[in-house]
Amino acid sequence: MSEFIQSLLTPFHYDYMLRAIWVSALIGGTCGFLSSFVTLKGWSLMGDALSHAVVPGVALAYILGLPFALGAFVAGLLAAATMAFIKAKSRIREDATIGIVFTAYFALGLLLISLFPARVDLKVILLGNILGISDPDIWQVIAISAVTLLVLGLKWKDLMLFCFDPNQARTLGLRAGALHVILLALLAATAVAALQAVGACLVVAMLVTPGATAYLLTDRFGKMVWLSSAMGGGTSLAGAYASYFFNGATGGCIVTLQTLVFLAAFLFAPKHGMLASQRRLGRAATTPAP
Amino acid sequence: MSKQQDLPRLDVEGVSVAYPNGHLALHDTSFRLEGGTICALVGVNGSGKSTLFKSIMGFVSPKAGSVRINGQPVRAMLKKHLVAYVPQAEEVDWQFPVSVWDVAMMGRYGAMNFLRIPRAIDKAKVEESLRRVSMWEFKDRQIGELSGGQKKRVFLARALAQGGRVILLDEPFTGVDVNTEEAIIALLRELRAEGCIIFVSTHNLGSVPEFCDQVVLINRTVLAYGPTSEVFTEQNLAVAFGGVLRQFKFDQSTIQDHDGRAVRILSDDERPLIFGKDGHLEYKDRGEHEELLKQRAEEHE
Repeated sequence: MSEFIQSLLTPFHYDYMLRAIWVSALIGGTCGFLSSFVTLKGWSLMGDALSHAVVPGVALAYILGLPFALGAFVAGLLAAATMAFIKAKSRIREDATIGIVFTAYFALGLLLISLFPARVDLKVILLGNILGISDPDIWQVIAISAVTLLVLGLKWKDLMLFCFDPNQARTLGLRAGALHVILLALLAATAVAALQAVGACLVVAMLVTPGATAYLLTDRFGKMVWLSSAMGGGTSLAGAYASYFFNGATGGCIVTLQTLVFLAAFLFAPKHGMLASQRRLGRAATTPAP
Repeated sequence: MSKQQDLPRLDVEGVSVAYPNGHLALHDTSFRLEGGTICALVGVNGSGKSTLFKSIMGFVSPKAGSVRINGQPVRAMLKKHLVAYVPQAEEVDWQFPVSVWDVAMMGRYGAMNFLRIPRAIDKAKVEESLRRVSMWEFKDRQIGELSGGQKKRVFLARALAQGGRVILLDEPFTGVDVNTEEAIIALLRELRAEGCIIFVSTHNLGSVPEFCDQVVLINRTVLAYGPTSEVFTEQNLAVAFGGVLRQFKFDQSTIQDHDGRAVRILSDDERPLIFGKDGHLEYKDRGEHEELLKQRAEEHE
């Protein structure tokens, strides 16, 4: 028995595991917080796009020896600006615009990486490398998370109003344009942080799944934010921990865990779960109409 | 009058608005409203009604002309939360995880501090507003679980909580039962008595003469505006709507003899507007309505 407990504790004996676990939890919690806004605003596709569009920025930053977060953030915002520009100046629909722009950026990133294979590792960018994260990279993640949590913590009500009813925000004299840019910038920034944990391919899960799960569990926004943050943080912590035993990719572990939690909510959520809906349907069928 | 504040004034002067593609949505639009009034904004789809609303709310900048509230540019007035907007039902995400209370509280955000933490006065205003629209007992409901009329009333409560003096309503009667329609009209008339400018975009032509004392008729520009009795005539409406309105002309009907048995019904999808011979208004129960209309005309004076 005690051997079993011993083996459960082994990941904590390794410095790199401890670091991976708490950095993942921090990233997961931050992404989870933001994911409430992303899912309600309908920006899931945008999150996916930005997480791929940052790749050339990351590549360029590594090639030039700059902080990766800086390169990624600039590339993300440039991509968002490109999308906004094309949308405003043409008749192409938004989803097509997003599709064109993010693949263009991603392709550029792949090209850069293949030209300088010694400086950057494609696998690290695509799949993340939280187990081997360097100290400067940890500091960047901490900085991004701190700023994001601070802004969201202070202005979540304004951002909620912006997501719910931007016109009301404007008529109250709030600057809807500024709120839009803030949310977009936070999305780009957290996409960069999540890149470290789970890699470019799975970032969107961190930015969508916790929010979507929480949305099934509550009808109050305040509660939703807590649930999605806790779920993001909890699954990332547990996923990073579990990856030690599976000897598998950390990103894969975290996102699989998130999916399992989502499925549980999808089926068993007290009000908006599938079973609850079916029970309601069944009751409606048996009770005669008033 | 307990809440008599300075009466608001809305001046729209020569406003022209163009879309990015160069299409002119509004051209040289001018009119003036003073509180308290209930004014209908009537025109065909695409006549620039929503563009006009957007310029009054400062969402679009006119290419020419200006919108002024109490003599000040709109943007300055927005900071004072004077303009409130009650959106169309289709514009709202009803699945959003907010309660009736939350939505009404959103009207108070402008008055709150940086963190938007409600003070006692904010809570009191929200409660008062929700009670006024009889939605207090639903305060913890998620907004998607309300009926069409209740949904409307929540957003009206938000405008009340905000304390707006210029209140814009976009199609307040669509998807609303008759009782709620009457309740909304009663509330709007109270607000009018308090000196507010109530500006209502509506397709519900039949109810306009009953609750609006003024009308603005538009089609890319103002065709006519002024007291309902003068502006809301068969002739003007024919100009405003061209051939777009459904018309039913009964030359041989069961209407009373003094109408020469001829009526003409104009309907823009909702409650029809019925004109008798020589363009007077027809109603199901005549006597009652004539009294009401006379009252409206006097009120406007």
